[in-house]
Amino acid sequence: MGTTSEKNWEPKIVAFLCNWCSYAGADLAGVSRFQYPPNIRIIRLPCSGRVSANMILDALRSGADGVLVSGCHPGDCHYISGNLFARRRFALLNNLLEFVGIEPGRVNFSWVSASEGEQFAEVVKEVTDKVKKLGPSTRLVKRIG
Amino acid sequence: MSTVNEKITEKIRSEAQRLLSSGEIAAFIGYEAGSLPMSVRPFVARKPEDASRLVWNSFCVLNLANYLPALLKSFEPPRRPGDPPPEGPLPKVGILATGCWSRNIVVQIKENQVDRDRVVIVGVPSRGMVSARKVKEAVGERDIQACTEEDHSLKISGEGFEQELNRWDVVRDNCKTCVHPDPVIYDILIGDPAGERQVQDRFAQVDEIEHKSLEERWDWFADSFSSCVRCYACRNACPLCYCPTCFVDDSRPQWVGKSTEQTDTMLFHILRAYHCAGRCTDCGSCESVCPVGIPMRLLTKKLNKDVLEMYGSEAGMSLDEPLPLTTYNPADPQGFVLTEKSEKGGDR
Amino acid sequence: MKALKLDRNAIGQWLSAMAGERDIYVPAPDGPAKGTWTLLTDYSMPEIKPGVPARPVKNFLFPQPETLLKFSTVPTDPNCCLPSEPEENGRKNVVFGVRPCDARSIGLNALACKADTYYQANMEKNAIIGLTCSQVCSTCFCSETGGSPMGTEGCDVSLTEIDGSYIARAMTERGEALLALAESSGKEVTDSDISAVEALEEKARAGSDEIRNPEEQLRAKDLMELYNAPFWQELADRCINCGACTFLCPTCYCFDIQDETLHGKGRRIRCQDSCMFPLFTLHASGHNPRGQKIQRVRNRFMHKMKYFPDRFGPISCVGCGRCVRDCPVNIDIREVMRSLLHI
Ligand code: SF4
Ligand code: SF4
Ligand code: SF4
Ligand code: SF4
Ligand code: SF4
Repeated sequence: MGTTSEKNWEPKIVAFLCNWCSYAGADLAGVSRFQYPPNIRIIRLPCSGRVSANMILDALRSGADGVLVSGCHPGDCHYISGNLFARRRFALLNNLLEFVGIEPGRVNFSWVSASEGEQFAEVVKEVTDKVKKLGPSTRLVKRIG
Repeated sequence: MSTVNEKITEKIRSEAQRLLSSGEIAAFIGYEAGSLPMSVRPFVARKPEDASRLVWNSFCVLNLANYLPALLKSFEPPRRPGDPPPEGPLPKVGILATGCWSRNIVVQIKENQVDRDRVVIVGVPSRGMVSARKVKEAVGERDIQACTEEDHSLKISGEGFEQELNRWDVVRDNCKTCVHPDPVIYDILIGDPAGERQVQDRFAQVDEIEHKSLEERWDWFADSFSSCVRCYACRNACPLCYCPTCFVDDSRPQWVGKSTEQTDTMLFHILRAYHCAGRCTDCGSCESVCPVGIPMRLLTKKLNKDVLEMYGSEAGMSLDEPLPLTTYNPADPQGFVLTEKSEKGGDR
Repeated sequence: MKALKLDRNAIGQWLSAMAGERDIYVPAPDGPAKGTWTLLTDYSMPEIKPGVPARPVKNFLFPQPETLLKFSTVPTDPNCCLPSEPEENGRKNVVFGVRPCDARSIGLNALACKADTYYQANMEKNAIIGLTCSQVCSTCFCSETGGSPMGTEGCDVSLTEIDGSYIARAMTERGEALLALAESSGKEVTDSDISAVEALEEKARAGSDEIRNPEEQLRAKDLMELYNAPFWQELADRCINCGACTFLCPTCYCFDIQDETLHGKGRRIRCQDSCMFPLFTLHASGHNPRGQKIQRVRNRFMHKMKYFPDRFGPISCVGCGRCVRDCPVNIDIREVMRSLLHI
């Protein structure tokens, strides 16, 4: 997103977090002062089941270098099974994107609970490292003039 | 001696004629002869005498289930959103259904687009439909002026040439790898059941792409989808696409731009295919109607493969089974989830 | 006007001479882009198949998309929201091997696009080198729409193949200038060359097509009678309302204008649109005057066969047969035209 000079490039990562677990996990990471890279831009959603492929691809289209989707662990969904339905959809999307040549690691999925502040920080580190290795995103990016 | 298709044509006509004249159905969705060699046209017979126009041959490539929800609706009294459903029995519609088309009707029934009680399904076991594109290639893209079909061969002719082709050689790729040629639901069956087919490597076309490197896959996607004109024939020929407003027409947010720029074309194709996940029957309607020959069916075929491998399910095989994306299993594979990788090791 | 006889070698030399001034486009003979107009890089006579290529020549006149203007959406930018001209690469094109039907479409569309400065500029930018047809394909019906397989309308230079060589005739001043670049490699035409071309023209005129000047007959008909004809329902029954016919049609010129904005930058583009799509006429209120399929199907044909001739004279169809060939459900405009003529 925006222009980035080659040298100081820092990836921009869009994180879709479910309200009940992962967003709370992110909050806890902050409150507990676990350090994690500042590259993520959080979008809070009620449930990982609300995350559609449209949203993930829209993030890529808008120039996000990486995407993280995170929800409650299976079995812990606030809406009982939203993440279990979502899991099937994510698995298929993940494979389809790889099939058409989107680099593995651009789009990532995780389960992080409200009490896993430290794990959240680790996930963000892992994703940021991966995306940094991949470099700026070029595929499925919309360019205007 | 009449050919298999001529015999089927006869039976289709007599069934349609019977159903229409007895008043059991208000309309019958079939095919009639077209104006070009190798062309047929979907045709809605509304009067008993229309039945004699119906035909059946190897070029019936557009999935007729595509017309079913709208045709049923056309016989309902108009109502606004929120109005109660109409009372009393509504007119029925007859429709031809091969294996894949019947599975699409199952999907439509399960998704509440079609009322099982309002359709009379005339099943026709499929011998595989022919790809007109393959035929054109086989005759060196020359102008085809006539085509006659025998059970196992096609005679193609044009100015200064006549060529006989083995029918199976030009059958569509999806039909060649089809394992369920017989209708899964029907009220009347025409012709002899073909039986389940044994196909080795049903997903060979998908495997071939999967085996490419990441860069090669991207190049494949970029090249082979580059000449898409965004006409949406693939979408509109698909019986799964019935959303009143398609995601491509959303404007706030606009998920995909309207022009044929690479990103927008690619996003259209990824999302169109993805919307068919767990629902696609590989009927090949989309691929057959594309005016420029885009292999978009391979995307849905990839999804079909994954759905089968991960969830053991194929779309529309039975009215009792839930569609794979409307259900889940607590033990579904999740090796792709970052936080699960360590425990599950090499899980996909 | 100038005319030259060019053998295949001479065509190659001519192409490389023109390439110094302009980008040359030809239909790709094969590969995934088959039938799409692609930049010629090997300057020899390209392989051009009989009949029309998949994509019409209108793609040069209505580029997909065409940026009309640009703007910034950054509030602190002093030029925020003020339109600016898009930058141009300044190159002009030669579109080579255009069939007579396609070439004729440029002038037909221009009737409706008289005040369209973008269309006019694109006409200016693209020189058309036509190639007359030695074979009339089964979907071709140019002669029934006022054209001819030997037509030259819309061409700057028209090529006719005779015994493996090409008779190149300049049809416009621009064509004259282009053909001058072939002077060194080509030969003067002889009287027998000219009479060979004339013989082909005569043969094309004598073609057995039963319909002549449909526009006159159609203009004479009552609009409402055509509009209320009984056969529209049957077409609507099978039409899937895709855009295959309109996007591939050289004479469908409807477009959509979109503002695309992202990260502080914006541009106004136009891209081709299709009257077969429900969105085409959807009002902001939610009302859609052509909300039903039958209305949309009817519109495409009524526009071409009645509204357009009433307003501009000719029918808006050059008989290229693309819609006949590519319609997924075999809606055949030749039949529609006949049905309308019989009303
Ligand atoms: S996506 Fe294509 S193959 Fe699948 S059901 Fe739709 S038309 Fe048939
Ligand atoms: S893939 Fe083919 S049918 Fe689908 S929109 Fe593109 S050109 Fe049309
Ligand atoms: S329609 Fe006429 S001009 Fe066009 S390709 Fe066919 S014969 Fe040639
Ligand atoms: S190509 Fe055929 S089916 Fe598609 S909109 Fe045109 S007439 Fe209808
Ligand atoms: S209406 Fe059909 S035949 Fe006529 S110009 Fe358009 S595509 Fe060609």
